[in-house]
Amino acid sequence: MDNASPVRVTGLFKDESKAAAAIKSIRKSAWKLADVHGPIPSEMISQALAVKKSPVGWFTLVGGIIGFITGYLLAAFTSLRWELIVSGKPVMAYIPFFIVGFEFTVLFSVFGNVVGLILTMQLPAYRDLPGYSAAASGEDFAVVVACADAEKDSVQTFLANQGAKIETGH
Amino acid sequence: MEKLTYAEIDNTVLNTLEPPTRMYWTIVTLLFAGVVVGFACWTYQILLGIGVAGQNNPVNWGTYLINFVFWVGIAHSGTLISAILYLLRAEWRNPIARAAETMTVFAVMTAGLFPFIHLGRVWMVYYMIPIPNQRTLWPNFQSPLMFDVVAISTYFTVSVLFWYTGLMPDLAIVRDRATGVRKKVFRVLSLGWTGKYEQWRHYSRAYLLFAALATPLVISVHSVVSWDFALGVIPGWHTTIFAPYFVAGAIHSGLAMVLTLMIPLRKIFHYERIITGKVLERVAQTIVLTGLIVGFAYGTEQFIAWYSRNTVEMEIFRFRAVGGFALAFWIMVICNTIIPLLFFFKYFRTSIFWLFTISILINIGMWYERYVIIISSVAHDFIPHAWGQYFPTWVEFGIMLGSFSLFFFLFFLFVKHLPSVSMTEMKEKVHEEAAHG
Repeated sequence: MDNASPVRVTGLFKDESKAAAAIKSIRKSAWKLADVHGPIPSEMISQALAVKKSPVGWFTLVGGIIGFITGYLLAAFTSLRWELIVSGKPVMAYIPFFIVGFEFTVLFSVFGNVVGLILTMQLPAYRDLPGYSAAASGEDFAVVVACADAEKDSVQTFLANQGAKIETGH
Repeated sequence: MEKLTYAEIDNTVLNTLEPPTRMYWTIVTLLFAGVVVGFACWTYQILLGIGVAGQNNPVNWGTYLINFVFWVGIAHSGTLISAILYLLRAEWRNPIARAAETMTVFAVMTAGLFPFIHLGRVWMVYYMIPIPNQRTLWPNFQSPLMFDVVAISTYFTVSVLFWYTGLMPDLAIVRDRATGVRKKVFRVLSLGWTGKYEQWRHYSRAYLLFAALATPLVISVHSVVSWDFALGVIPGWHTTIFAPYFVAGAIHSGLAMVLTLMIPLRKIFHYERIITGKVLERVAQTIVLTGLIVGFAYGTEQFIAWYSRNTVEMEIFRFRAVGGFALAFWIMVICNTIIPLLFFFKYFRTSIFWLFTISILINIGMWYERYVIIISSVAHDFIPHAWGQYFPTWVEFGIMLGSFSLFFFLFFLFVKHLPSVSMTEMKEKVHEEAAHG
């Protein structure tokens, strides 16, 4: 996706299937598909964009493993710092420590999930996004095409023919 | 039913964020006054000592622990609706998921105050945190009370992050339609969400993982709360049924609170087309299921006591049913197991009046369930010489008033300042329905 192109043409689609068809056509053409925005996640559009599975799960997994080890070791460490034998029972209580390990697993998995989400989505991002239309958070699927100024009209015509309402911006 | 458009969903929800009426501020002020009363009572207790509360020998776990368990229980249904039903693809959850998640966050916040209050010397709280101190005192992670600290703080953190992640697309909708300072505030809050498909790709995955992680967490948290009791040797507490029994009870009370909150919310904000009668009916049907599980647990407890032939165990269960705690016990049984059965009849689960009334009765019953479990066991344990009674003092009543006021105060602020129904999830629901005819 080429963000440096001088002109962005945004086509707003009410119908996701039309948006998906337009995306497929643009991907096959010489134009650059800059962005696609939508009010909901759409399987049809994801397929048209041929998006891969998100790697967020790996962050979650790593977080979970670190969490379990941290929780278990913390419980073990604090017990060993006391080393007080009560009723002849061993100081290291392996089974109850599993509960602490479990809670830490969930906590750190979620931390991993959030860190993964922030890194992969590159948020926070407060700069105005070229071609972003507020209608995309409401009810429309916005297909943003980056093109040279000379090609603007043909992109607009193409998107309009596909059933889009056109918005332009630099 | 007439189909909603995306624009109608946005308009209905965004209308709730319009400047509030004088009535709203009056209610908020009254609730804030309740919070002040609660904090004043707590301050009084801190200054004079825990003795001003009615907790003493033999009952040293009074309303503070009752309310702690009650609020943790209320929290659980939010996670049930937002996470478990999400994984089960129950589409009726969508209109109420946001409010239920918010209920979870505020209920855990309220619950989290009670261990501090019960601690008495609240400044000693750092002993529960695993940090090195001058006397090398470390928390004992073999204690269920420490499991509690870990579980509740994990639950609170996870609930807040889950709630905020779910809010992001909606915050962007508010940002795109707001002006002035409000736009700036929502711009910061939405973190620059634009609904790019690159964002949806990661968001959908992360949300699914959140739900998958929250599901075992919610079960573990109330199990851990139950182990506070079950790992003690007190008759009536020391039982293996406590974990599933507490989890079922938590969801039962939480669902009732969902109805208690949703019915006025629906009426005040004209959410009738979003939070439909069908959605409330589904909640009522789920309450029938949880009510039956809770009823089964009550019966099993009695059976275990009888089957064990343990004199002390048998005595406490006899005492609960026909002794000094009989009134509380029967309020618990009738409100939690008999009354919810009315939802078997379509008339009751489709009548707003009955839905609301029964939800209130279940809330009362569930509060009494915790009262019966906590108070009756320690008031009537092994040695008749040590038996005693308990009645909360005005300090405890004040703090209890404060806790209820705090919960509703926060919820009232939320519904007027943030989207109380997930617009995105509602659109997904409409989209699903359109796709499947």
